[in-house]
Amino acid sequence: MFSWFGKVSFVPYSKVSDFAVHLKDGRLMGSVCKKCGYKTIPPRADCPECLSGEFEFVEHSGKGTLYTWTRIDAAPTGFDDVIPYILAVVDMEGGGRLVGWFGETIKQEEIKIGMEVQLVPQIFDEEEIKVYYTVEKPGTTWGKAPAPHLG
Amino acid sequence: MSRVGVIGIGHGKFGRRSDATVQELAFEAYRYAMQDAGIGRDALSATVIAAVPEYHKQRSVAGVVQEYLNLNPLPTWLTEVACSSGSAAIRTAYMAIKSGLHPVVAVIGCQKMTELETADILALMGRVGEVQWESVFGTTFPGYYAMFATRHMHEFGTTREQLLQVAIKNHHYGAKNPNALFQKEITLEKALASDPVSTPFCVYDCCANADGAAVLILAEESRAKELRKDGKIVWLDGVGCATASMSVLRRPDLVGLPSAKQAAEQAYRMAEVKASDIKVADVHDCFTIAELMAYEDLGFCEKGQGGKFIEEKRAYIGGDVAVNVDGGLKSKGHPIGATGVSMAYEIVKQLRGECGERQVPNADVGLTHNVGGIGQYCFVHVFRRD
Amino acid sequence: MDLGLQGKGAIVTGGSLGIGRAVALELAREGCNVAVNYRRHDTEAKQVVADIEKMGRKGLAVKADVSSYDDAQKMVEQVVEQFGHLDIMVCNAGITWDGVIWKMSEKQWDQVIAVNLKGYFNYNKAAALVMKDRKYGKIVNISSINGLRGKFGQANYAASKGGEIAMSKSLARELGRFNVNVNVVAPGMVLTDMMEAIPPEFKNKALAETVVGRFATPGDCAHLVAFLCSDLSRHVTGEVIKIDGGQYI
Repeated sequence: MFSWFGKVSFVPYSKVSDFAVHLKDGRLMGSVCKKCGYKTIPPRADCPECLSGEFEFVEHSGKGTLYTWTRIDAAPTGFDDVIPYILAVVDMEGGGRLVGWFGETIKQEEIKIGMEVQLVPQIFDEEEIKVYYTVEKPGTTWGKAPAPHLG
Repeated sequence: MSRVGVIGIGHGKFGRRSDATVQELAFEAYRYAMQDAGIGRDALSATVIAAVPEYHKQRSVAGVVQEYLNLNPLPTWLTEVACSSGSAAIRTAYMAIKSGLHPVVAVIGCQKMTELETADILALMGRVGEVQWESVFGTTFPGYYAMFATRHMHEFGTTREQLLQVAIKNHHYGAKNPNALFQKEITLEKALASDPVSTPFCVYDCCANADGAAVLILAEESRAKELRKDGKIVWLDGVGCATASMSVLRRPDLVGLPSAKQAAEQAYRMAEVKASDIKVADVHDCFTIAELMAYEDLGFCEKGQGGKFIEEKRAYIGGDVAVNVDGGLKSKGHPIGATGVSMAYEIVKQLRGECGERQVPNADVGLTHNVGGIGQYCFVHVFRRD
Repeated sequence: MDLGLQGKGAIVTGGSLGIGRAVALELAREGCNVAVNYRRHDTEAKQVVADIEKMGRKGLAVKADVSSYDDAQKMVEQVVEQFGHLDIMVCNAGITWDGVIWKMSEKQWDQVIAVNLKGYFNYNKAAALVMKDRKYGKIVNISSINGLRGKFGQANYAASKGGEIAMSKSLARELGRFNVNVNVVAPGMVLTDMMEAIPPEFKNKALAETVVGRFATPGDCAHLVAFLCSDLSRHVTGEVIKIDGGQYI
């Protein structure tokens, strides 16, 4: 259910909806095109190179380096209860980029562009299942559920 | 090949226009433009309307504007590419004229942004970026440009003070523009003390939403010369347009806008000019960093030197190129559908020599640089006065 | 059926006697390392550990009062350290102290609630903390059919057993997303030491209630608990399964 992903979701369905299920189980997924091998994160169903729609999820280590960041003090609707929060744009190991939130292990004063970081899957403390990931110090560990049975 | 010329311009007051509907705002600017051109509605062949629909209660805004301006049954349609809608509408009119289908086209940029409830406006604010992978984390329009600024500061040593110099310049000139939302100068101290929005930005780094309208009337060369007897025609000689990924995750870097660089190259080539030929420019200063990056993307200075450029006052009247001497988005406010047309209005006025105390001396070639969103669209137009 | 419990780490409270002992030994038989707590019965606890170790598994006996929040937390930490991980939490320790309400003292009430209901909270909470981080866990809380119905002379016991059921259902809702199952086993009369104290006329009444004409053995309960600790029952959560020979249908 892609609507599980993010504090506020704007996308209920996607051909890569299972990204959110995997994230709940503690796995950050990119995708690989079954036909030509084009790899990317965040995952996408349709290959921009060979136009194939056949893809597979591929687990990513979550390692990356910080490209840029900003601390948001004026929030859009749905985010007022978590300001201030710090957004990061992370260049992922092996290519691709993700937007995320800085987590507990890194204080604002410690943030440096180019620093090595670890993306860690998280689940919100709410009744509805909602998942996200945070940007933490390298070496941070987390639990992964046994391989999921989807569908 | 015949050229496309501007024969009429009009501009209304930008601001919190709770006194008028979007079509009434459009009419203000339309009236000025028609009077300026000295034509009646029979001279028009079509209109192109620029507005961003999601901010209006009225669906299909183009229809209600066309009706109120008493222009039925002329053809019209809406052009929308976020904040660059105005320039997109001008490019559309240019294409319509060049195709031979419509010899005289009125471009109407009009926008209300204050009709919605605050919560709805704030919700729209959170959907500026790519909503599947980015907005879910609460990214905002200032947040994105703030991330560009953070990276630019890291790579080139640009400082907060240099960023705020853009706001100071634009307020300096906006104070002399009766159509601007903010008509007061600001100081660096006041700017630095304003509320934080998204590091490194504070309130004074950011443009404000506004309501407003502007109109441009364009015509095919021979028709322009027939209609505008005083010969004060400004030619649209170069049009450039390029796109970049919606998502910042797929840009090559976040220290410039590739769409702006490419659009400028096209426009310069078409108009047969270089960056150094531009005397006056209106660039898209939605945030202070955006204007700094524009100096670099448009070739007014080298990559990374934008901070120095503004610090050395090279973007003021008397400098290398006068940038945003109508106050820019920062001082005028940013009614997103109208901004692109407002930029063209200023450049045409400058090239006609009608800007009084804000006049750039010997302005013969001018440029508008209009960006949509975070640079997923950019339109650059080069105007010339013979 | 292979329950797949090889190498799992488990805690069984009240595991030195009765149902708890049977569960501890059954889990060990299936391959688990098992820790039990004791408050007074240290001899019995050590015997259970010896029996577990005879099966080639790790056993651990920890002195802990289930009604102590800190004791529970410390025991879980100790088990995680010794076994490497905690996969299974079976709460079973419980007491009765019967009486009609007009004769029931404050102490009678408080004590039964503290050991039975608060005790389950203490261990469920300590286990939940480690299981949610690992994204794996099986919690089985042993209640009673007297938590599902009113029982003469057991206002305190029934309240605690009923409370265990509602708590377990709430926890199932909270922990499901972390791949942690929380279920309840509700026995009727079981042939254990606790039963010794019951007068014969009450035992016969209970026997007459069953449709199968006999009582459960601790082993019967252990089989059901072991199934609920296995991934074979991965899709069962928030459930209450009676094991009462039809005493209360």
